[in-house]
Amino acid sequence: MKHLMLTAAALTVLAGAAPAQEITLARFFGACEDAGTDTTTSTGEACIIQSIINAADAEIDGVSIETLPTDWGNYYDQVKAAFAGGSAPDVFVMHRHRIPEFAGIGALAEISGELEAAGIDASDWSETAREAVTYNGGIYGVPMDFHANLWHVNMELMEAAGLVEDGVPVLPSSPEELLAHAQQVKEATGQDYLAADFAQFPIGVRLVLALMWQQDANIFTEDGTATIDTEAGQNAVTAITQLFDAELANPQLNYADSQQAFLNGEAAILVNGTWVVDFYTAEAAKEEVALDDYYVADFPTLFEIGATWADSHMWAMPSTLEGADREAALKVLAFINEHNIDWARTGHMAVRTSVVESNAYTSLPHRDEYAGTAAIARDTPPSERYGAIQDVLNRELQAIWLTGKDVSAALSDAEVEVQDLLDR
Amino acid sequence: MDRGYYWLVFALAVPAFLWLVPTLWMVSLSFQPNEVLARTTSTTFFGLIPIPFTAENYAALFAFGQTPWWFLNSLIVAVGMTLGVLLVSTTAGYALARLDFPFKKTVMVICLVGLMVPEQAVFIPLYTMFADLGWHNSYHALILPRMAVPIGVFLMMQFFQAIPKDIEEAALIDGVGRLHIFWYIMLPLARPAMMTLAILTFLYAWNDYLWPLVSAQSRDYFTITLGLASIQSNFAQSEGLGRVMASGVIASLPVVILFLIFQRYVVQAMTVGGSKG
Amino acid sequence: MQTKARRPLTERQTALILLAPFLVTYALFLVYPFFRGIWISLHDWNLLAVAFNPDAKEFVGLRNYERVMWGRDIAWGFASPVLQTLGALGLAATAWAYLTGRIARFNAVVLAVVSVLLIVLPGFHPDEEGRWYDRRFWPTVGNTILFVALAVPGVTFTALVLAACLNRETRAMGTLRTLFFLSQVLSVTVVTLIWQIMFSPRQGLIANVTGVLGASPINWLTDERFAMAAIVIATIWWSLGIAMILFLAGLQDISKDIYEAAAIDDATGVKAFWYITLPNLKRTITLVVVLQIILHFQVFGQAHLMTQGGPNDSTQVLVRYIYQTGFRDSELGRASAMAVFLFLIMGAFSLIQFAVGREKS
Repeated sequence: MKHLMLTAAALTVLAGAAPAQEITLARFFGACEDAGTDTTTSTGEACIIQSIINAADAEIDGVSIETLPTDWGNYYDQVKAAFAGGSAPDVFVMHRHRIPEFAGIGALAEISGELEAAGIDASDWSETAREAVTYNGGIYGVPMDFHANLWHVNMELMEAAGLVEDGVPVLPSSPEELLAHAQQVKEATGQDYLAADFAQFPIGVRLVLALMWQQDANIFTEDGTATIDTEAGQNAVTAITQLFDAELANPQLNYADSQQAFLNGEAAILVNGTWVVDFYTAEAAKEEVALDDYYVADFPTLFEIGATWADSHMWAMPSTLEGADREAALKVLAFINEHNIDWARTGHMAVRTSVVESNAYTSLPHRDEYAGTAAIARDTPPSERYGAIQDVLNRELQAIWLTGKDVSAALSDAEVEVQDLLDR
Repeated sequence: MDRGYYWLVFALAVPAFLWLVPTLWMVSLSFQPNEVLARTTSTTFFGLIPIPFTAENYAALFAFGQTPWWFLNSLIVAVGMTLGVLLVSTTAGYALARLDFPFKKTVMVICLVGLMVPEQAVFIPLYTMFADLGWHNSYHALILPRMAVPIGVFLMMQFFQAIPKDIEEAALIDGVGRLHIFWYIMLPLARPAMMTLAILTFLYAWNDYLWPLVSAQSRDYFTITLGLASIQSNFAQSEGLGRVMASGVIASLPVVILFLIFQRYVVQAMTVGGSKG
Repeated sequence: MQTKARRPLTERQTALILLAPFLVTYALFLVYPFFRGIWISLHDWNLLAVAFNPDAKEFVGLRNYERVMWGRDIAWGFASPVLQTLGALGLAATAWAYLTGRIARFNAVVLAVVSVLLIVLPGFHPDEEGRWYDRRFWPTVGNTILFVALAVPGVTFTALVLAACLNRETRAMGTLRTLFFLSQVLSVTVVTLIWQIMFSPRQGLIANVTGVLGASPINWLTDERFAMAAIVIATIWWSLGIAMILFLAGLQDISKDIYEAAAIDDATGVKAFWYITLPNLKRTITLVVVLQIILHFQVFGQAHLMTQGGPNDSTQVLVRYIYQTGFRDSELGRASAMAVFLFLIMGAFSLIQFAVGREKS
């Protein structure tokens, strides 16, 4: 036995000071297999994040990172399955809205006491960023961005419809104006005014949510009462369905198709998130892509108050992580925090004040065009059933625009179901 | 071979070609550049002919992709499951068909009831059970739950029942043990039925999606089915259609080749198993 | 005492050794999970919470079943005229067939039970004040049944026709058989990958071809009228092979003499197919149909990957709902209750198969 221990000790010495700490990391954003380690030149969410991870793997001494293969559609299911199966990833990305669900049962590590030692300066985070990762007074992750719905604009089509003034698109300020603009675009160009994923991911839901918030309404209150079948809800939905009814927008496009329609110059506006700004910028620069003059605008205010759907990506660790693994995981979090500027290249809004104020950040393409978004960012009240609630809304809204379900019937059905979820 | 026959072949060739079109299209797309596909998928003859041509998608897959690795996992799981099912089914099938033992009727009834339990109806308890054992993310987690397939036992039992008894009786008189008979006489005779069972199990294992989806989160144990599912739900944001299709081709090619080699067994063996079923 | 090494094993010992691998795997991975599933379904069981604290589950009796399948103020009446009339007609037909001696007693009982269920079950509905506790469950069951009702006849009919045409031992026929079988070996994710793009209104082959003919593209996967059809088409394309091979096997069992005899009576082609092939294939057809029903009731991948259950839940199927309830909503108890329901449906079909098989032998 003693002999064995001596051999083991000798081997450890021979292998170097400390064996590399293996960190498993789970993320969505899509796959980018040839990302490399250059964090400053990659484009697109998938490749930028993977290049940061690859760089962390290469640059942090004694830590190697394995990226788990997860996909967007099943991400949270898979993370939960991993947690429940006792093989939770050491580091994983999540949305701010999932904190109640995960932290509520003690799945997430509370790291406020460890940030400084890990070299993460929490005071550099903006106020809202710190709020985003805070739950019941504790800090449960490192924020990476704010992302929000934007209006991506094809300036050529807008120009043709006479909707450009001083190089800035003229966006509607009321539902009536929205319809009028859409008709102008149709008459001038024959193309649709607005495209978005109304048929697959809940981008249409986020649109309706924004329009409800703009009327100072919400889908449920902080104390857990669903308030969907309301005048505000009706107004929000009809503001959009009027476009479908007049055939000025197509509700049947999914994410990929709506994006393609925009890039092909078949829609003047695409409602999509901050995450595609750099991608569309790159596409617009290409000769063969129909979209040439690309502009990014804040979500316009159609009602009283400015509001757009927003969320935040953050990195967290399981509460069960201990010892050297925990230290290594914190190093990875610190590394990602360091590269906030690289991540902001996607189009996302940075969380660190020092980054937001830096030249490198403000000079990113189109950045100045949607500077107002941070101020109008909103989301629904926190809930452990965020995912299921979004799903209810997505289904009922799709029922309205894809299958012609009566608006108030759909909204009251949604209200009943959301109430059920809140009561569970 | 009358004229009617040739007309029939011709008449069937058209739907057969149509049946093949989706697969051909996948292959063709995988050989086209992603930049072109982003704009249109029907450059040459609805995209069924890969012009403009590129092999870049495959080069990228082999340089960076995890597809070959996933493929290997699938192969391990499928082969492991197939061997396991063969072991379990032939032994039990023989015992039920030929041997006399207490509670034989009961065992048979229990098996019959087991036929009714769909795998999808037990995946949640299996999941919690494997979680308690800490077995997730392993090959045995992917293989073991699918070994308990009563249908295989029934298939083998029916096959053994159809073999004339005198073959065995001669050996028994010579004092040869039952295990010996099973191994050296019955198993070789059962080759065709085992082939059917092996093919069906292999295909089943290769296609299994729900169980690996909940059981395997680690890259080391991702199967090709899971890997491709993750690629397609991500593709809007990542590498491009040609690359995705190339993964699909790589994932399918080996089973297709395997099938082409063994296809005579598929028809032959099913004749044995199917008509008795 | 005899020397142990030379003594051959008794039949019992051999049987035990040979049965052991099966009995052990069967007990561990099917019987035990099955009962454990029922046990879980009687609990309020949160996937994550229980993982962190094994005591976080709470025994709730049958409440999960109530919450999934029942509602408030459920009344019974003539709520679904089509199905209930169908049930009544079925009951009448069964009675007539039994009384005139056309079917055996056991089959009559099975058919009668099915008919009565068809009259009773669709009759339940919430009255004006009431509601289902889970409004998605029964529509999901309905979608699953619709999928089965479309895919099973689709596969069976196509496979039967192809098998009848391809039942000749020539090289050309062999090649054609291979072509039709080929798609069966593809993995479900490859199938959904291909068909997702095939159906795409912008990039899809179908849209490309119809576009040349001047038709505007159909949004197959996002249009409520076509989404179910789309996944059925993909399923038929995918799972035709094994059914076809089983039919070929059945066809080869039919003696050539019968056809030759029939040919003298001028029964060839379609006529021969109708009067000779079909009656002789009854058993195989039953087998194929039941296997398909069991297989397609468990459909998951196609709906999960191609349409995500949409649009508006029109392709939401039972196994996907179980998966979502269990892993997205973390409610293992509820999900298990649904799984038990799935088992009951499948069990019913297996029983029918058993009954039909019994009558034949």
